[in-house]
Amino acid sequence: MTERTIGIDYIARVEGEGALKVRIQNNHVEDVQLKIFEPPRFFEAFLRGRSYLEAPDITARICGICPVAYQMSSVHAMERALGMKVGGQIRELRRLLYCGEWIESHPLHIFLLHAPDFLGYPDAIHMAKDYPDAVKLGLALKKVGNSLMTLLGGREIHPINVRVGGFYRAPTVNELKAFRPQLVEAMKLAETTVHFTADLDFPNIEEDYEFVSLRHEREYPLCDGDLVSSKGIKVPQDRWDDVFEEVQAPYANALQSVRKGGGTSYLVGPLARYALNRDHLSPRADQLAREVGLENVVRNPYRSVVVRAVETVYAIEEALRIIDQYERPDPSWVEPPPVTKSVTGGAVSEAPRGILYHRYRIGPGGLIEDAKIVAPTSQNQKRIEDDVRHLVERSLALDDPALTNACERAIRNHDPCISCATHFLKLDIERR
Amino acid sequence: MHEEAMLADLVRKAEAVARREGAKRVTRVRLWVGARSHLAGPELKDHWAYAVSGTVLAGAQVEIETSSDPNDPNAETVMLRSLDVDSAKGRS
Repeated sequence: MTERTIGIDYIARVEGEGALKVRIQNNHVEDVQLKIFEPPRFFEAFLRGRSYLEAPDITARICGICPVAYQMSSVHAMERALGMKVGGQIRELRRLLYCGEWIESHPLHIFLLHAPDFLGYPDAIHMAKDYPDAVKLGLALKKVGNSLMTLLGGREIHPINVRVGGFYRAPTVNELKAFRPQLVEAMKLAETTVHFTADLDFPNIEEDYEFVSLRHEREYPLCDGDLVSSKGIKVPQDRWDDVFEEVQAPYANALQSVRKGGGTSYLVGPLARYALNRDHLSPRADQLAREVGLENVVRNPYRSVVVRAVETVYAIEEALRIIDQYERPDPSWVEPPPVTKSVTGGAVSEAPRGILYHRYRIGPGGLIEDAKIVAPTSQNQKRIEDDVRHLVERSLALDDPALTNACERAIRNHDPCISCATHFLKLDIERR
Repeated sequence: MHEEAMLADLVRKAEAVARREGAKRVTRVRLWVGARSHLAGPELKDHWAYAVSGTVLAGAQVEIETSSDPNDPNAETVMLRSLDVDSAKGRS
């Protein structure tokens, strides 16, 4: 027996966040279980007892890609609980900040996560050898989104300028005008992106989704509007709990959301937003969608990459609109009223990957008594299982590595939080 | 976030190395934590204890070196530096 030291110097990588268990009997898929290993993070628990004013900054830490979504859902939920009305230029600034998040998040998924799947590369680094311009374009677009978040939020990740009632500081007209050229350049990149994505090869698959998103009477939704679905839901956004519920799957740490009563899955995110709000796209986004032949309702999950590109154009166009009409609000926030009794408020906003629901109960004095946060990934999780079940049924002849790759692609279509790991899936197939 | 996945990845790597080297037992593991890594020492130890349960690494002593250099190119990472093993093979 010899004792010795083995040098390794291996850097940890984020891989294996999920596992997919598939049970096949007589060439029939009996069960599909998507397991998410990431442990609970207990945000809802440790918000209790904190001031309601802290919620935007605490919940922003839930995600480094879409912190604005957490800030927007939390401030709107608090304002609804307190009976506050926040409109005018503060509302416009919130939309502008949210546009920044879409502009940084969508290209990240399109070029660094999704495109390598279509073009046959394990990741964007390998793809960059053959498609350097595409990867550079994606990074340049993402940088513009991040810069816009910095301008409005104080920093690009986990912004610090958002507060209940508005912003700690509103930018000057000149500060926003100075940013305009970056958005004009970004528009050219985004237009190229729409054509780039539309030219990818797509599997010929359609799914019967129940699409769920916000819908506003006159604009593509970010924070306002009712909660609607393609199968008949139409409720105020703070009534999420009336139509959906979270359930605990015994095999996964992440909660799943389902339709209340029937327990069926539904889909949130770009495909849903687009299908339910196609008529509210901005002119250039609408024109590009027509140019590349994008149907008014897209049921092919792989083509979500094109919808993301169209939404990026929308976000840039909307950002330009807001900057062009901007007048600096003074004061930059609406003062919240004192909290004298227990109040409850809920709100939904459109994170890049789908609706994000927050609900809070605030006690007298302003401390949070109860918090509920339902992220888009958990709302899509059951639907992703359905997609994967259909995929496996169509692909039983594939060997396990090929099937694993196909399942990862099917999951990545919906941009779940786990998909930023290159190889996030451990496939366990039980064939009988 | 991602603590479990990161630690599981390090454990998989360490197990693979131990197997390759014919290790009967791993006696010591050295980890290096960058100055800007989101994993801190005590938290890392807890996650590590959970991650190695039931593996050849269970029971091995863990040494954690924490870097204070935020400009280190690996400052945001956690690294598996080395393993001490008991094995039939000689020093490689």
